[in-house]
Amino acid sequence: MRVLAVSILAFGLSAPAFAATQAEAEMAVAAAVKADAQAVPGNRWVPTVTALKAAQKALAAKDWDTAAAQAALAQALALRSVEQSKEQETAWQDAVIR
Amino acid sequence: MKIRRLLLTALAACLLGGAAPAPASPEADRTAFQAFFKDRFPQTPFADFGNGPYAVNAPMRKQWEEIMQFPPYDFALDEGKTAFETKFANGKSYADCFPSRGIGIRQTFPYFDTKTGEVVTLDLAINRCRVANGEAPLKYQTGMMASITAYMSETSRGKPFAIEIPDDPRARAAFEEGKKFFYSRRGQLNFSCASCHASSSGQRMRGDILAPALGILAAFPIYRSDWGSMGTIDRRFTTCSSQMRAEPLPPQDIRYRNLEYFLSYMSNGVPITGPGTRP
Repeated sequence: MRVLAVSILAFGLSAPAFAATQAEAEMAVAAAVKADAQAVPGNRWVPTVTALKAAQKALAAKDWDTAAAQAALAQALALRSVEQSKEQETAWQDAVIR
Repeated sequence: MKIRRLLLTALAACLLGGAAPAPASPEADRTAFQAFFKDRFPQTPFADFGNGPYAVNAPMRKQWEEIMQFPPYDFALDEGKTAFETKFANGKSYADCFPSRGIGIRQTFPYFDTKTGEVVTLDLAINRCRVANGEAPLKYQTGMMASITAYMSETSRGKPFAIEIPDDPRARAAFEEGKKFFYSRRGQLNFSCASCHASSSGQRMRGDILAPALGILAAFPIYRSDWGSMGTIDRRFTTCSSQMRAEPLPPQDIRYRNLEYFLSYMSNGVPITGPGTRP
């Protein structure tokens, strides 16, 4: 449910509500890269990678709105994956067949 | 003095109460794991769990029996036998790298190497053998690696998994890491290996019947119709990761090897059926 909520939120973020400036787009991409770097190996979400690549491509193409929107999506997904990994550090034990 | 002892006892009780439960022994884990699948599929003979979804779904089994009149892995098997018997440039061969000259040993892999302190899979041992004899390593997920492991598995057919956990804390740690990987949820879909292959085993996931985790590696390598080619355990693990929408780890990453160690130990007693075929 939480994953679904974050996904809906993230997709909502991907729709640009305002025209982003170059500085805003660059800042958004940098924040997304930083969040993605925290992902645990083996739990970097595939859509995070896709959104981050799209943001970087848009940044290179000077499409600031798309870059900012895709970066916000990538950041939201990356942070949720980090949160999931932290939860699972202990939560996995509840699933063990005993 | 009495008060001090009382306080210490109370403190110890609090600390113990708040601590994580000590892990069960691997043997206790295996007993509970196998009992779970025996209870879930009471009609399935224990030795049949190496046949994956065909062991738990009658219509699929019927189709599989027809497919097996002309097994799609036969070409790989022939190719693997030829490669296995061909000498390296230095005159040695795969047989020189393995106990029993590599014949009938699949059921003992993966093993924990107490010298290097790591889990060694059959695929890794094959590549180490090649490198030690001056040959280039093979790609892990398909192609010749799948063919050679197909041949080696075929020589072990019917031999039950016999994985050991030596009395070495590093071996126990590798087992526990594999267990943690199996039960941990990951990816955007928030699935664990256990979500599909334990609690939902035998059920449908779109067009597929989810294979029980017990004996799930016994048939590898497999010819998978979905792939249209042979694939190793690495190929299956990386595909599963992608299907959960998590970026896969590199083939033979230590986390995948520990997972293979855990799953194979849990399947001790289930006969090797590989090479296999899957939808």
